[in-house]
Amino acid sequence: CGIFAAFKHEDIHNFKPKALQLSKKIRHRGPDWSGNAVMNSTIFVHERLAIVGLDSGAQPITSADGEYMLGVNGEIYNHIQLREMCSDYKFQTFSDCEPIIPLYLEHDIDAPKYLDGMFAFCLYDSKKDRIVAARDPIGVVTLYMGRSSQSPETVYFASELKCLTDVCDSIISFPPGHVYDSETDKITRYFTPDWLDEKRIPSTPVDYHAIRHSLEKAVRKRLMAEVPYGVLLSGGLDSSLIAAIAARETEKANADANEDNNVDEKQLAGIDDQGHLHTSGWSRLHSFAIGLPNAPDLQAARKVAKFIGSIHHEHTFTLQEGLDALDDVIYHLETYDVTTIRASTPMFLLSRKIKAQGVKMVLSGEGSDEIFGGYLYFAQAPSAAEFHTESVQRVKNLHLADCLRANKSTMAWGLEARVPFLDKDFLQLCMNIDPNEKMIKPKEGRIEKYILRKAFDTTDEPDVKPYLPEEILWRQKEQFSDGVGYSWIDGLRDTAERAISDAMFANPKADWGDDIPTTKEAYWYRLKFDAWFPQKTAADTVMRWIPKADWGCAEDPSGRYAKIHEKHVSA
Amino acid sequence: CGIFAAFRHEDVHRYKPKALQLSKRIRHRGPDWSGNAIKNSTIFVHERLAIVGVESGAQPITSSDGEYMLCVNGEIYNHIQLREECADYEFGTLSDCEPIIPMYLKHDIDAPKYLDGMFAWTLYDAKQDRIVAARDPIGITTLYMGRSSASPKTVYFASELKCLTDDCDTITAFPPGHVYDSKTDKITRYFTPDWLDEKRIPSTPIDYMAIRHSLEKAVRKRLMAEVPYGVLLSGGLDSSLIASIAARETAKATNDVEPSTYDSKARHLAGIDDDGKLHTAGWTSLHSFAIGLPNAPDLQAARKVAKFIGSIHHEHTFTLQEGLDALDDVIYHLETYDVTTIRASTPMFLLSRKIKAQGVKMVLSGEGSDEIFGGYLYFAQAPSAAEFHTESVQRVKNLHLADCLRANKSTMAWGLEARVPFLDREFLQLCMNIDPNEKMIKPKEGRIEKYILRKAFDTTGEPDAKPYLPEEILWRQKEQFSDGVGYSWIDGLKDTAEAVISDEMFASPKAEWGSDIPTTKEAFWYRLKFDALFPQKTVADTVMRWIPKADWGCAEDPSGRYAQIHEKHIE
Repeated sequence: CGIFAAFKHEDIHNFKPKALQLSKKIRHRGPDWSGNAVMNSTIFVHERLAIVGLDSGAQPITSADGEYMLGVNGEIYNHIQLREMCSDYKFQTFSDCEPIIPLYLEHDIDAPKYLDGMFAFCLYDSKKDRIVAARDPIGVVTLYMGRSSQSPETVYFASELKCLTDVCDSIISFPPGHVYDSETDKITRYFTPDWLDEKRIPSTPVDYHAIRHSLEKAVRKRLMAEVPYGVLLSGGLDSSLIAAIAARETEKANADANEDNNVDEKQLAGIDDQGHLHTSGWSRLHSFAIGLPNAPDLQAARKVAKFIGSIHHEHTFTLQEGLDALDDVIYHLETYDVTTIRASTPMFLLSRKIKAQGVKMVLSGEGSDEIFGGYLYFAQAPSAAEFHTESVQRVKNLHLADCLRANKSTMAWGLEARVPFLDKDFLQLCMNIDPNEKMIKPKEGRIEKYILRKAFDTTDEPDVKPYLPEEILWRQKEQFSDGVGYSWIDGLRDTAERAISDAMFANPKADWGDDIPTTKEAYWYRLKFDAWFPQKTAADTVMRWIPKADWGCAEDPSGRYAKIHEKHVSA
Repeated sequence: CGIFAAFRHEDVHRYKPKALQLSKRIRHRGPDWSGNAIKNSTIFVHERLAIVGVESGAQPITSSDGEYMLCVNGEIYNHIQLREECADYEFGTLSDCEPIIPMYLKHDIDAPKYLDGMFAWTLYDAKQDRIVAARDPIGITTLYMGRSSASPKTVYFASELKCLTDDCDTITAFPPGHVYDSKTDKITRYFTPDWLDEKRIPSTPIDYMAIRHSLEKAVRKRLMAEVPYGVLLSGGLDSSLIASIAARETAKATNDVEPSTYDSKARHLAGIDDDGKLHTAGWTSLHSFAIGLPNAPDLQAARKVAKFIGSIHHEHTFTLQEGLDALDDVIYHLETYDVTTIRASTPMFLLSRKIKAQGVKMVLSGEGSDEIFGGYLYFAQAPSAAEFHTESVQRVKNLHLADCLRANKSTMAWGLEARVPFLDREFLQLCMNIDPNEKMIKPKEGRIEKYILRKAFDTTGEPDAKPYLPEEILWRQKEQFSDGVGYSWIDGLKDTAEAVISDEMFASPKAEWGSDIPTTKEAFWYRLKFDALFPQKTVADTVMRWIPKADWGCAEDPSGRYAQIHEKHIE
């Protein structure tokens, strides 16, 4: 979905048509319906992607007494439990988001603490003329906040930057795990797990079964849907694990649905107290892969799909199709970060194909590399403590990198990506494991993400059906944009070389300050970004992704250039 | 789909990124994929809605020798027959549009004569550096053509006006039934049936079974699809008949698909074969869709019809406020300020979004019947059969500016394709040649409007035939579409316009409107909205306003409610 909110606007009724047009800029996020509501001098506009509560989930949601309104983009996986907790509240809809109102009534700005899910929401309390806004713990869902110096009382929120550039002269990417309260005009952190302090080095011994069960539950939670869904399958370890688990869980849920499904009875989709999944019973899992023709990822994905029994859809794109899409990718992603653009383009193209096939939601494998230190440069970590510190920092920066990519590449086409690795419980478990267990030591047979692989290795369990083929479970990582075919990155670089002359490159724009592109490719993307978003404040929301230079890493973030990957490239 | 073409652009390679962005403005028409191709100094861009040939229908289509490129928005219903006729041509795709290339090779600019369907296309012949463009006989599919005085050699084509407003200073709605040839730089008529001359009054006696069978075949042709489809059901005579026939044909076609032998991997051509038999991908039941304000007369009638014909019925209501909030978008998509079109398009625009959200990509719709059979209530005032006929022919010829425009753009705003069986070529040939005395409205003799169409589907004298529709629907008097959604819709529009447009504004129309002065505040309001979206002078020239024949003594307001014969309904 897409949300847009303007709190305390001085001329709200005249602003309304403008607000609708600003919100229309993110209609790609919510093609299914639009809603708006005005209370006092505050307007909420919502563009809806209908996944749960097809018939009754229109937004903004207004409470029965008319005192509160709520605009949400996201999924609340524990909504069934929350409804039970708030049984004295008069629910208006079957939406998984509505429990946020009674939670606010009970816990005030601590409400987001109780939510298990991915979300960005605004809640307006008309009695107090107060707005509360929050973003999920890791930032799986995007949210921006803006102010205008001409009207300092007004606060704006939107799912994407492009809604705010017309009306705001200061815009920030809203920090994940935080909540804004207009009463104090402060943004404060609500998500405070012990592992958040990157200097605290944990020592819990690894429990392989706990990892397995926790990830399985994380997938199960995310299969809550009343529409066809699928899984993004690159053929790498992370997406293959998610696909394997999803195929098993879908099969289980179908077996249950056949037993007791009554279509006339209004059912809530999601998991119940026992962690049991209720769905509307789609029969088989669909998996989707993309690459340049003959990309290594495509072959691996095919192998996995066959093994887990998903209905597999393979799409190829040409270098030219990728290049033609770049302007759109930058417009949607709202970034000029090289790594993000490279990796987003195939995902952006694939998402369009997936949506064209009628699928509205996919599971995706982001987060595992940050949690387990899976990037190849982690092999250069000088100590377990530094390995851990870097890993925590990477998880905390996900909202600026992989989460942003996964969210915006898919939502550009009204496709929602859900990310099981970033489940709250799974993070709590895995970010507290002794980092010595995560260290990459090829000579001892410990390749990257060893403990995750080990957790799903059923070699010693003769009664258990294997999750993945041996060669996938233990295949070395390709960075996503390398795996789609090496010539993709080369093609981008070559085109940038031709598009940006040496003279241009030697004369960066003055308004870039000290954020000077160091490659022609970066320079090229920056020009494209500036053409879409000329406002100075827009560029401030962008972060560039650079591996830790002090571990001796190359500037180019492609996995291919990490030392440990050399044998793959030359082979 | 959406097409964009620039023929003989002086700097086509530099223009390409701009062309892609212009084409993106009609991506709503083709959300599923984008393609482009350049030959010499000509570029074609295509936004695809995949309905037939889902896996292999990418456009632009290039011939295997690389000499021809083709860009089409539309459906060619006789493509199976055309393929057989062009057996010596090497087909590169399974697309229903590809036969246009060999037809051009064989028949040059007469090619569109052989096409049975709805279409707008451009074909580029690289050998001759020549472009040929054509639009279907009635103009079901939209097409615009533009020139720029800055570059007089260049010719532009696009599915919607909004692609051309940046680059062109003259734009015309491309005339239906015509073909453009760059060799002569002329637009000539290719569609030349005998009935086109409105002064020629036909005298063929009526054949009720011929009408029935011809409409049934017209529906059957239009069920060619590999995706879920439905039917727009207002509960009026026209849409109810189409729905009834579609439900029967869908049931027949589904019975022909044998699940045990159906091979989803095999390549199927969807469509009807030489014997008029329909081949589909086997979707089980027909879905029907209705919209109205709560308790609108249309909703109740539609429910009755759906129950009778056994369709899976989806009823949607909208509030006056939702309609008002959508007006700016409606005008942007419809590219008109015509009062009747805007009133009638808004519910259809809202409904189309709901339909697409449910995963349906194609619907049948009932446009054209009122023009062919003189069904508008003011036809009751026709002074003679000859004048009745002349008006009817003129109305059919103007459909592309009115109901066809509405049906096409209201649905395509959301990537939903509307197909219109009443405007089938053969059905028109039959029905436009019937003695107009048979069509005259004579309530005292029991001949209400569209008597002969009703009679053709009245099975009272055929005890073995299953009735098409309930008696009270088959013989229900017409509601104009925008009245049937609820009378308060029109009243709400008028009241809002009154509140928005002051007497002072209304008394001072803009000078640049020339003699095209709005005569009501509602019309004035729409014109302002249109000008805000399309400020270029040339744009307004493409718009036609819909006004009943004043010389028959008709009211200025086109709502059916104000026609003399309708008075009893209001009281």
